[in-house]
Amino acid sequence: MSTYLALALGGLAIGAMYALTALGIVIVYKTSRVFNFATGAIGLACAYLASTLSAKGLPIPLVIVLAVSLGVTIGIGMELSVRPVKSTLTKTIVTLGWLLALQGAVGWKYGTQAASDQPAVLLESTRLLAIGPYILSKDQAALMAIAVAVVACLAAFFRLTSLGTATRAVSEAPDAARLLGIRVDRVNLVAWGIGGGISGLAGVLVTPLLGELNTTTLIIFTVQALAAALVGRLSSLPLTLAGGLGLGVLQPVVNRFMQTEFPSVRGVDELTALAVVLGALLLFRSGGRRDVAAGGLEPVPVKPLPSGGTALALGAGVLLAVLLLPLLLGDTGNLSRYNLIQTGVWALAVLSLVLLVGVVGQVSVCQAVFMGIGAYGTGIAASHGVPFLLAILVGAAMAAATAALVGLPAIRLEPLELAIATLSLAFTADRFLYNWTPLNGGDTSRPVPRPGFAEQSGAEIASGDRAYAWLVLGIFILAAFAVASLRRGRTGAALTALRSSEPATAAMGFSVVSVKLRGFAASGFLAGLAGALYAGLVGNASGAPFDFTRSITLLAYTVIVGVGSVPGAVLGGFIVTFSTLSFGASDEVARGETASQVTFLTGVLLIAVVAVRDSGVVGRVRDRFRSDPPDPGPLPEQREPLLVKAGL
Amino acid sequence: MAAALELRDVGVRFGSFDAVDGVSLSVHAGEVVGLIGPNGAGKTVTFNVVTGLQPATRGTVLLDGRDVTGAAAHVRTAMGLARTFQVVQLFAGMSVLENLMVAAHRFTSAGVVVDALRLPGRRRALDQARERASAVLAFLELSHLADVEASSLPVGQARLVELARALCLKPKVLLLDEPASGLDPAETADFVALLAEVRSVLGCAMLLVEHDMGVVMPLCDHLVVMNFGKVLASGTPSEVRDDPAVRTAYLGAVPA
Repeated sequence: MSTYLALALGGLAIGAMYALTALGIVIVYKTSRVFNFATGAIGLACAYLASTLSAKGLPIPLVIVLAVSLGVTIGIGMELSVRPVKSTLTKTIVTLGWLLALQGAVGWKYGTQAASDQPAVLLESTRLLAIGPYILSKDQAALMAIAVAVVACLAAFFRLTSLGTATRAVSEAPDAARLLGIRVDRVNLVAWGIGGGISGLAGVLVTPLLGELNTTTLIIFTVQALAAALVGRLSSLPLTLAGGLGLGVLQPVVNRFMQTEFPSVRGVDELTALAVVLGALLLFRSGGRRDVAAGGLEPVPVKPLPSGGTALALGAGVLLAVLLLPLLLGDTGNLSRYNLIQTGVWALAVLSLVLLVGVVGQVSVCQAVFMGIGAYGTGIAASHGVPFLLAILVGAAMAAATAALVGLPAIRLEPLELAIATLSLAFTADRFLYNWTPLNGGDTSRPVPRPGFAEQSGAEIASGDRAYAWLVLGIFILAAFAVASLRRGRTGAALTALRSSEPATAAMGFSVVSVKLRGFAASGFLAGLAGALYAGLVGNASGAPFDFTRSITLLAYTVIVGVGSVPGAVLGGFIVTFSTLSFGASDEVARGETASQVTFLTGVLLIAVVAVRDSGVVGRVRDRFRSDPPDPGPLPEQREPLLVKAGL
Repeated sequence: MAAALELRDVGVRFGSFDAVDGVSLSVHAGEVVGLIGPNGAGKTVTFNVVTGLQPATRGTVLLDGRDVTGAAAHVRTAMGLARTFQVVQLFAGMSVLENLMVAAHRFTSAGVVVDALRLPGRRRALDQARERASAVLAFLELSHLADVEASSLPVGQARLVELARALCLKPKVLLLDEPASGLDPAETADFVALLAEVRSVLGCAMLLVEHDMGVVMPLCDHLVVMNFGKVLASGTPSEVRDDPAVRTAYLGAVPA
């Protein structure tokens, strides 16, 4: 018992850091109703800066000031970039772009492999006091004190200063505040600046506790901050602090328990945080609180898919076939067969998101997780002697089932909340799911043998690849055809109706639950199929290609090419492949610099594309070449909460 | 014969506040019942209990004699209930015909796989739905709007289209939530005439919540007046109009 208590108390310091990071989210959300997913990435950038500066021998207070200034600067930059964007959900997607850009920039500069630099240790960890087994070190005490102090300062800011009062007014009713003469943009700028500064401070302080400085740990760390922020209902400062501390205390206890009972399970801390995130999201809704929803009620900004399913599918197929042409004809020249096939696989993955975002009208930031499950599922089926073509269907079906499970909370959640839930899942999958023995068979990867006609053996390597390319191309055309057909059929009618009005769709005799779940399952099936084909391509299933960065970049590419575009999926697939290519010197590749550059560019591209327009590259080009029919314009902006609209 | 729609002693309680308190009413096939009352009387909550959007705290809702109190909205639709909304809720991004087809799909069946792979059932489902939707548009003389984007319609036409969409469901009971709100007097008169025709041709039961006495008086066979969650009076329009309690509720205490 006393062991557990000591463990729990030991979690207070890191819990304080969860709370601090969460405060960065809450401040921004309170004012602008935008969920800042990049908060961990801001911390990452600041931590690297602090580490560099302190290695150069700068005095610690100066290091902290400089690092926090960087955080403030990034926060201000983010506010400026989301200002022209209308929908809060789209603004939130832009913060994902910042996450990628910051993660990429840091990796580019410092390399992604584990700590080329040590974390900057800014606080002494000497023992402050010890009572029996309970030890409190100076740095732990200092971290908690800092978190409490920040909460107190922020509370004073909101209550006592005129700017704080204005902030509260802006968060309640931005238009009314504007009419009262409050400069809403300036208030937002201040809030984002403060939020960025706090995120940066948290990043600098927490790295010594995490004991490592690399480009993923601090970002996955975000999942804990999400949990704390949601416990604080995205508005209460003290509750956020309590949420962070509570999670900090809970995690080591759960961890110890799992270590004893289920020693093979990894990523327990992230699992615990995910449970808190999901619990908070679902519980607070049934309690009648719609705070979280208030920010994310606008419909996903999409245009309906154009008609002509067959033409569209064939067009997409031809486009992909042209890309694959050198391979299909057997003369790849200097091009790598592997990369060409990859293009088809990633195009299929982007297509699954086109279906989910463009047709179903939901956002998933965990599409790569469905791919991972498809890949592992295929491996599991193959290990039982199931032939390849059947095995990929098994994998896809497993992914479909998982997607339906993820879609289950979506029945209750607004798109913004679903984005929070799915991103948390993507973070957790990296640490837990891909290390889970039943899935990976106790190894990091499972073999996935290719079908006989596409085997890579001896002199037949090229012809095997060619056969596999035909298979991927065929499946992609079938899938593009299916997505286009689905949109124009009975299910598509219900899905499009659902995006407009849930009560009205139910009044037409469609079960909202069943329609949504079918949409999720169909999207998960395609993603799973893509994962399975990827596994067949590389010969094994593993989690690495399907990490959280992939989930985010897949969504980013879908938004970049236009969420409603089937042919755009091909372009998306091409960009993903391009993003996996290895340029530059081999040592740069090994340090992950090229991959980071691509991640950085993807983020910047996403931010720029959303800022410039809501449609996508393909949509824009199509509009240019086709003057009729006239653009129906954006969906009506004045969407009230649906139940309110229905008169409830 | 059982009433097409019957409420027995329905109550809805929010905390300690009775929004609806012991409301009973019944609507028979071919009958039009109006639910009226001052603002906050509980009309809309009662309406939502009927459609299934608001669970009842007590009491029973019967459709054609079958208990549907706990049934979800889409299940009630399948049992012959159709509705329109106070704020028109046409599906954006779809043409008028496509809007009606969503409703008409209640009588078709085609799952995700059939749709996605264009198996034979898909064509049949689409043809059936289009046929029914076109027929209803023709009946309401709206065929010229078939290809118009629904969200671009002015409110008068949008109300007609929403009615048409509800009729695609072949309703036994048609619920109309303030059908005349947002319409000018001429449009309202046309709409009333149309509803009368729908009633005489289709013979379905209608329950409407409405403020506009110009709609309620000529159209309804029976009125139910609510005040403070309770039924204040009920009877024929002329009986209700002459009821002193109703006058007091609407106009305040009138000195005798």
